Amino acid sequence: MVAIVIATHGDLSDALMGTAKMIFGTIENVAQVTFKPGEGIENLLDKYQAASESLEDDHILFLVDLFGGSPYNAASRFVARKENMDIVTGVNLPMFVEVLGKRLAGGTLEELVQTAKTAGADGIKSFKEIFSHQTLANSAKEDEGDELG
Amino acid sequence: MKIKWLRIDSRLIHGQVANNWVNHVGAGTIIAANDSAAKDDLRKTLLLQVAPGRTKSYVMTIDKTARCYKNPSYENLDVLLVVETPKDVLRLMDAGVEVTQVNVGGITFKEGMTLISEAVSVSPEDVEAFKELDKRGVKLILQQLPNTNASDFMNRLKSKNLL
Repeated sequence: MVAIVIATHGDLSDALMGTAKMIFGTIENVAQVTFKPGEGIENLLDKYQAASESLEDDHILFLVDLFGGSPYNAASRFVARKENMDIVTGVNLPMFVEVLGKRLAGGTLEELVQTAKTAGADGIKSFKEIFSHQTLANSAKEDEGDELG
Repeated sequence: MKIKWLRIDSRLIHGQVANNWVNHVGAGTIIAANDSAAKDDLRKTLLLQVAPGRTKSYVMTIDKTARCYKNPSYENLDVLLVVETPKDVLRLMDAGVEVTQVNVGGITFKEGMTLISEAVSVSPEDVEAFKELDKRGVKLILQQLPNTNASDFMNRLKSKNLL
């Protein structure tokens, strides 16, 4: 099972993990890394090293918050010369939950990267845009007969 | 119609049901059997909006669900059936739907109810319905998500001195 590191500014990574458990249930082989005011790239590199040693697989997907931010910049240094690791930016709840599902179904690192990119973007929707294309149900008509609908 | 999984969940169709359970039980169709939702055009539309795209989803009254259940053209349909209350399960059974097992997933707390788990509360009316289901030999399982613990629901009611 590919390991996952969630790395963010502040406590977002811890909170995201707690929230994901509400939706996904038990979550294994994921480490959270926080980046706090006053810390630098070296702290993050140490935390990534410790996280990678604590995880059960040497294939690791990093999900970080901002492209170009310190969690990303440190992760890019950590991952650059390693074949078995990758980073996806813009981590959000839909991305994390879909990645967990794909991973449970035996997804490889490359597949998880694609799932993360797709789910992270597809999870963003405007209600009005969807609703304007939806036909309102007509319950009076639909309650009859024995055909689905 | 093959009912792969029958779940009591007062939120009917939402993220947890839609994604995790459908994948877990291998159902291609979701039916939310609920009279008030089926008769409320807006609520019905919004419930269908959040159903996953890869499944066929329906919001129907209990009676219509039972009629479709008996329609031979759906003989091979694998269904995840979601209802709001244990009483609705009894109504389905009374209308001829065969039920052997029920997943008690989520019943929202309201005043006068007893908390059974983080996600499930029961009213005195619910307890009576669960007792009747138990009497009819239906297995009742308390479980919120596919990969969280499953436990015997009647035992939980007993441990809360509700039986």
